[in-house]
Amino acid sequence: MYSNMNFYDIVLSPILESIRRFPLRNAFCIDEVHYTYSQLGKCVSKVRTALRQSIYQNPKVGLVINDDLETYASIIALWLEGDSYVPLHPNWPLERCLDICEQVELDLVLDSSANSRYGGGGIFVLNTKEIDNAPDCLELKYDVSEDELAYILFTSGSTGKPKGVMLTRRNIAAFMDSFWKTGIEINEKDRCLQAFDLTFDVSVQSYLVALTRGACCYTIPQGQVKYIYASTLIEDHKITFGAMAPSMLRYLQPYFEEFDATSLKACILTAEACPLNLMEEWYKCATNTELYDFYGPTECTIYCTYYKLSKGGNNKTLNGIISIGKPLANCVGLILDESGDELPTGEKGELCIAGDQVTKGYWNNPEKNESSFFLKEVDGKQMRFYHTGDLCYKDADGDIMYSGRLDHQAKIQGFRVEMGEIEYHAREFLGGKNVVCLAFDNKDALTEIAMFIESKEFNPNEMLAYMRTKMPSYMIPTHIYYVPVFALNSNDKIDKNVLKSLIK
Amino acid sequence: MNKNEILEKLTPIFRKELEMNDLVLTDELSANDIDNWTSLTHMLIMTKIEETFNITFKLKELKKLQNVGDMVTILEEKTK
Repeated sequence: MYSNMNFYDIVLSPILESIRRFPLRNAFCIDEVHYTYSQLGKCVSKVRTALRQSIYQNPKVGLVINDDLETYASIIALWLEGDSYVPLHPNWPLERCLDICEQVELDLVLDSSANSRYGGGGIFVLNTKEIDNAPDCLELKYDVSEDELAYILFTSGSTGKPKGVMLTRRNIAAFMDSFWKTGIEINEKDRCLQAFDLTFDVSVQSYLVALTRGACCYTIPQGQVKYIYASTLIEDHKITFGAMAPSMLRYLQPYFEEFDATSLKACILTAEACPLNLMEEWYKCATNTELYDFYGPTECTIYCTYYKLSKGGNNKTLNGIISIGKPLANCVGLILDESGDELPTGEKGELCIAGDQVTKGYWNNPEKNESSFFLKEVDGKQMRFYHTGDLCYKDADGDIMYSGRLDHQAKIQGFRVEMGEIEYHAREFLGGKNVVCLAFDNKDALTEIAMFIESKEFNPNEMLAYMRTKMPSYMIPTHIYYVPVFALNSNDKIDKNVLKSLIK
Repeated sequence: MNKNEILEKLTPIFRKELEMNDLVLTDELSANDIDNWTSLTHMLIMTKIEETFNITFKLKELKKLQNVGDMVTILEEKTK
């Protein structure tokens, strides 16, 4: 539950050690170009020196997440300085990114783009591609508290504004300690896949596992079709370890027969529910791999439970979905009823998580902090729990089975999406017309968003164009239905089952 | 099939899946240019193309596709 590992010993020192021990080994392969640990070290020194010469008050620093060495080096440089990063996606609507800058009151943005979208309004932009080389600047600064932030990730919020989850150095240290205790082993000879946007926390696992062990991290450039590029990396570069979303494998499934994934030693499936039938097929082309299903909300630092699959064995499932297993070493996971009491084995309730991986809260959001966390005594100790909103039960062995969401949230391509946020922006455009969004699984078992509008049919292009200026593309509904009047259920609420039945 | 015939069939597929009614296909157009051209839409586009042209792609072929021009070339080959 409580990790005695700290951020220096389990994150920063091992990365610096990799730079020292393996100067000529590759740290990154980005867009087919390899960068050695020596080059990474030089780039970190350059950015850190420039940071020391910059004037900024706020230790939370915006980072435009381009797919390049400067962006990754910036993360390490910020951490060495005791600062944290707030990722700003180059393809997200500027308005959404500026909202994030404003919420966190950023006064510095690190940007490697040729033409930055930031500047003015009290924000200083440091172009990390244009700064001069600097002498080595890789020593540790030991006065940074474990309670300082490491990053803030913004996720979809039901009020129409993205909400920021704060993760501290202690959170990350506890996570890395938990991760290594699962028994996954990586060394400097490994080649690791980094298939996630830096706005999404599985990216942190992906680069940290590689960099703290001297392994090489293979990224996916923006503008590439992810599943195809990933399959090329796995085949051409003989990737040995990687975390993937099951949907990526779902897209690749038609090609499994010709796909050589024999180099994979270990593969993590995460970010979405993991179907057993897909895994059984995947074992056939990733013949040498151990498969793991990892689960966790951003609020509990990347992952908080895991299940190791056994090939050809009896893997536990519920409705075809693989168990999310047991809590990681530094996590407590309980299934609680509505009054916060633990439920007996086999009974469904909300999965709640405590321990050193749990976030200290949402940035500047007292209401959400009040409702999302609570104290509960466990074995005589007061622990702070997070409401995951996931409906689960534990079986007799203590393995957790995932049954669905308690609320109005869905995972689209691995990203958390609040239906309320999409509804909010559509209603804003439509001048208050009734709008309901529902997530559904299509015939390929992929989650899509359907939007129902209480209106006559109209051309939705203008509305969709407006919504694209407010939200990332994965949040834009793929189906629109026009309903003259929404049916109500016995509680006088919009009957979502009726709407759901309209989805073709 | 020649290039024009192929483009005539491709255009409505791309317009529908990318939700862009006025999209004009050019040889250089790629996922890099269109935010909405994600793994999901790419997969949907490929499935539609396979149905429309009554062909199937190999993974090796999909890997070579960097833009619409590559797509046209490969379809010219496959519909010969």
